[in-house]
Formats: sequence, C-alpha cells, structure tokens
Amino acid sequence: MLLLTGTLPAPISSAPLVILIYVVLILMVASALASVLLRDMIYALGTFAATMLLVALLYLTVAPLLLFTVQLLIFAVISAVLVAGLLRMTVGFERRAVGPFSQEWIVGGAVSAAILALLAVVLAATSWPVHVCCSLVEDFAGTLTNGYVVALATIVILLACAALGSGLLVASPGLQRRQSRTRNAPTLPSPRGGGKRRR
Amino acid sequence: MTAGLDLFLIASAALLAVGGFAVVARQNAVITLLGAQFMLLAGGIAFVAFGRFGFGAQNRNGAAAMALFAGATALAQLAIGLAMAAILYREHRSFVLDADAE
Repeated sequence: MLLLTGTLPAPISSAPLVILIYVVLILMVASALASVLLRDMIYALGTFAATMLLVALLYLTVAPLLLFTVQLLIFAVISAVLVAGLLRMTVGFERRAVGPFSQEWIVGGAVSAAILALLAVVLAATSWPVHVCCSLVEDFAGTLTNGYVVALATIVILLACAALGSGLLVASPGLQRRQSRTRNAPTLPSPRGGGKRRR
Repeated sequence: MTAGLDLFLIASAALLAVGGFAVVARQNAVITLLGAQFMLLAGGIAFVAFGRFGFGAQNRNGAAAMALFAGATALAQLAIGLAMAAILYREHRSFVLDADAE
C-alpha cells in the first residue's frame, strides 16, 4: 500500500534557471527537427550531436549529476562518433532524394501530428498525483548498484553484445568477399562489339 | 514563470513527435535511426521529469536510472542499426530503405 504524505516538489521558480530551461528545451526540439529535415548528412549529424548535448544540459538542471555526465561523455560522444564513422566509411553525404511535401513527408507529418495531439490530450486530461511519499535519500550511484544491479548488468551485457555484433556485421568476411567480387566484376562489353579488329 | 512537469512533458512529446516523423517519413536509414534515438531520448526526459516533479519524486534516482537504461538501450540500437546501414550502403550504394520510393 502506498502512503501519500507530503506534497510534490515545487516547480522551478528561479528566473535564470527557468529561462535556461526554456531556452534549452526550445533549442533541443528545434535541433532535433533540423537534424530530421536537413538535406546534408553532415549538418544532420551536427544537429543530432547538438540535441544530445542539449539533453545532457537539461539533465544537469533536473537530474543527478551522474546522469548528466553519462549522457554528455558516453551517450553523446559515442553516438556522434558512431554516426560520423559510418558517414566516413560510406561517404554518405548525399543530397535528399525525396523532396519536401512529397507523399512520404505528408504521411509522416500527419502521423507525428497525431502522436503529438494524442500526447497533448493525455497530458491535458490526466490529473497527476499531487502527493508523494517520503523521499529516499540515496545517491545515484548507490541506487544503481543496490536497487538496479540486475538491470545494470543486463545493460552492460546488452551494450557489449551490441558492440560485438556491430563489429561482426561490419567486418563480416562474406560481405567483404561479396564487395571485392563486385569491385572486380567484369565490365560490360564495349558497345563497339567484340571480334577481330579491322585493319 | 515556472518550469514544472507540464513543460518537460510537452517538450518530451514534441521530441517524440519529431522522432516519429523521422521514422515514418524519411527513407534514409541513418535519419530513421536518429529518429528512433530521439524517441528514446523523449522517454528518458519524461522519466527524469516525473522523477523531479511528479509522483516519482519519492525515488528520484530510480527515474534517473530508467533514463540511463533508456539511453544505453538507444546506444546499443544505434550501434547495431548503423552496422546494418553500412551493409545496406555496401549492397546498394545508398542509405535509401525503400528503393521503390525513389
């Protein structure tokens, strides 16, 4: 049974912090939108990294410091390095083939608008609890290693498997053989045709 | 002017919608993966917001732990997804997921 004692933490009211949070949130959504819409892959990567950094900054204001550090140093950096490595490996700085206002974009816009509307309705219609039980005072690292040790171990195994699996996929010998075969594939015959050369 | 649960949830919903748009509308595999990243980030932000301002404040670190796990899952998904995108590029010289759409 849940004890409802005390009140919820008050919203942040310090003016500089509130302004910072507003700016970070607006920039975060704008940069995420830009990374989805931009034509150039390198700009999309830059705005994606900016979004990750802004999320880290957001965590700094409302979450434990360890989460900010992990988001900034591990998630943001590794994600950006992974995408940049892929682009460098594949020279993927392509122009967008599908223009704006195509059918795909209209469908995608409609779906995302529907998601946003649904979430807005849920936010507006739900009356969130206004009381809270006693606050447990424990540091974040202690919580991770005590209360979530199984989840932590699972995540570590998941990340290790992902790193191993992605490495195996990229360095797959069968794939490289197929690629070299494609590279050494015979070319089409000359349009002038074969046969003996006339003299 | 205050910054409370509603503000963070609205921003989280907007980020989720942006990610959903990328997943549905874009044909580029890399952009689709970035959209999935944004959706998971939105979930993490909602967890943190509930842990800071909402009912989850009774165990704020638990909410942050959930955000951490969501981020780690997103990272694993990105690693595997980008490896698959590399294979897609090697096979087709393009990141386009649906060739018929071109």
